[in-house]
Amino acid sequence: MLGLAVYLVFFLIVVTIYAIMVMGLNLQWGFTGLFNAGVVGFYAIGAYGTAILIGPDRAALIGGFEMPFVVGLLGGAIAAGAAGLVVGLATLRLREEYLAIATFGIGITIQLVALNFDALTGGANGLIGLPRPYFDRFAVSNAYNLAYLVGVILIAGVIYFALERAVQSPWGRILRAIREDVTAARSLGKNPTLIRLQAFVLGSAIMGLAGGLYVGFIGFVSPIDFLPILTFQIWAMLIVGGSGNNRGAILGVLVVWGIWTASGYFIGQIVPPGYQSQAGSIQAILIGLVIVMTLLLRPRGLIGEEESVSSHARKQAQQAYKKKPAP
Amino acid sequence: MKLKRMKLAIAAPLVAGGLMMVAAPAMAQDARDCQIPIGALASLSGSMAAIGGAIGESGQLAIDHMNAAGGLLGCDAVYRLRDDQGQPSVGVDAAKSLVEIEGVEVILGAIQSGITMPVLTSVSVPEGVVQISCCSSAPSFTELAVEGGTNGFWFRTLPTVRPQGHVMAALARERNYVRTAVIYVNSDYGLSMANAFAEGIKVGGGEVTAMIPYNQEQASYRAEVTQALRDDPDSLFLVAFPADGATALREWLSLGGPQNLLLSNALRASEFVDAVGAKFLTTAVGLDNAQVAGPSVDAFNASWQEKFGEPPAGPGLHTMYDAAAVALLATQAAGTYDGTAIRDMVRQITGPGGEVVNPGVEGFKRAHEILAAGARITYVGATGPISFDENGDVTGPYLVWGVDESGALTELDTWDIDRVNVLMGDAE
Repeated sequence: MLGLAVYLVFFLIVVTIYAIMVMGLNLQWGFTGLFNAGVVGFYAIGAYGTAILIGPDRAALIGGFEMPFVVGLLGGAIAAGAAGLVVGLATLRLREEYLAIATFGIGITIQLVALNFDALTGGANGLIGLPRPYFDRFAVSNAYNLAYLVGVILIAGVIYFALERAVQSPWGRILRAIREDVTAARSLGKNPTLIRLQAFVLGSAIMGLAGGLYVGFIGFVSPIDFLPILTFQIWAMLIVGGSGNNRGAILGVLVVWGIWTASGYFIGQIVPPGYQSQAGSIQAILIGLVIVMTLLLRPRGLIGEEESVSSHARKQAQQAYKKKPAP
Repeated sequence: MKLKRMKLAIAAPLVAGGLMMVAAPAMAQDARDCQIPIGALASLSGSMAAIGGAIGESGQLAIDHMNAAGGLLGCDAVYRLRDDQGQPSVGVDAAKSLVEIEGVEVILGAIQSGITMPVLTSVSVPEGVVQISCCSSAPSFTELAVEGGTNGFWFRTLPTVRPQGHVMAALARERNYVRTAVIYVNSDYGLSMANAFAEGIKVGGGEVTAMIPYNQEQASYRAEVTQALRDDPDSLFLVAFPADGATALREWLSLGGPQNLLLSNALRASEFVDAVGAKFLTTAVGLDNAQVAGPSVDAFNASWQEKFGEPPAGPGLHTMYDAAAVALLATQAAGTYDGTAIRDMVRQITGPGGEVVNPGVEGFKRAHEILAAGARITYVGATGPISFDENGDVTGPYLVWGVDESGALTELDTWDIDRVNVLMGDAE
């Protein structure tokens, strides 16, 4: 039983890190309608940014500044945000499908840069020996994992409440107005380009932060961590959970990543080894099935977006409802 | 009704799987009532799926041999193979669940260095679990071990590419090539091989005119080839896999590149020779890991042939068997299933000084007898003698291959471990 609990702590760390990434995507797609298909690129920039700042000094590498983890984490997030700014300035005037293709290309480009810029990223071999923050203060590694889980949950919690506050603010209403109808938003005197850029940069920085947390947890980073399939996984989590709702986004991570890993466990249990290579495809089928079923049965995701736009309006509606005598 | 049918559809394979699990130990002649799980990670799906399945089965073969030879510590060894899907996050999760839920003290694998490394740093080393890889060749593992980042829990049965690069440089010297261009696949394998070769060339006083990486599965490599030809090299070292390698080499030849070719181990394939044309390859020379001949290699090859009806051809099969065999024998010798105890026993059962035991049921039976008598064994595996250095690396023998006019692959020369060690000693 203890083993299962220890594993669950490990599982939840990854879930929380992915949840942060999905919340970043939710801000971009769920609230603002920006189709970012290069999620993994910003995650990679955050991860490498952190790794370069905290990593040990090596003769063959440009990086290795041995900075404290918090500095590395912030640096990674800022680097990802800056990348979001550059990418956003270049692409945000594109409409949805064009933006998707452009960002998809950018995501792959970033991965290829990581693969080829040996002096900065260590190339295909990656960056090794990255310090895990405060690891030596714990006698047992599983106690460390528990502490790390608490840390990432706190960070995810702060991001969650900040985003919830932001999307319910007037700024959040503009995001949704832009998502629904750019022309209408512009006619009201709003500047959609600027607002979209803000959402894109903020979302990218949040994805970068998730990358930094992954590096701190694993202590290693290499280009194979940033294959395009991760972008697909993050999108699947958001769609299954319910885009436009942060609680949905988090639930989606739990469900999708849970199925992704648990199916591996059960396949390992029931299928004899000779057939496991075929059984591996079952996982891909399962995940596809979950997405299709969600789209069919719950087109808005497990927890869809809430109807009400402002809490103020909701309160008024409730009061009006109370005043009305029961029919 | 629909729901019922769905339930049935889910239940049927579950029940069938359950029956198989019950039936398997019952079929064994001397079923033991306890089980020791041995963990393994391989890419059964994803980009390495083509080789991952057979590698997984090679591990199973070693476990079967051990069980047939009398089990492991009086129990049945059970193989817990998990798919990493070619994705580090999936591999790390699978490794953690193997360790915590299934209670494994040994993880065999993974295949790609980019997955093996995070498993090592975030699961194996912190939890004190021995990790033995069949296939990860990146030099960063050696670097990490030197820095003390592995606590000795890391081993690999695949010879590292550094000596291979140096031997290749020696071959270039033998042939009086003084200006060599290098085109290499941009992966941890290609990069390390190219770097080791350049290091070896420098020691010998030659010159590398260009180091050009290429990305896999492109339609053309004209840009890379043009760049490699720029400084007028007299020879080419090509580190590639067959399909891309043939594309690049055809372009090299059509642009007037010299036929003084040095080829990496993965190009020792008839599909490569056919795609390029044998007449262009008669002056080419290649290097590959040699299966040293001998009873231990024959024993493995024979038992593979017996089980699968074909000879063991493909990367990682011999090394995976040895990884599993080393883990099993070290566990048996340690007398307890514990990562630290197994780690400390690995060099005891492979180093010289004990009685030699070979792969296969007979070999493991003999190992049981010797260990029971309190004496030492020296496991000589499917890849020949294994000797782990302080970083968990092994050095292997190599063979030099060429192509004759008919397009057949020929063996030109062999480099045994002693000859490689002398060369590497000179390089230091």
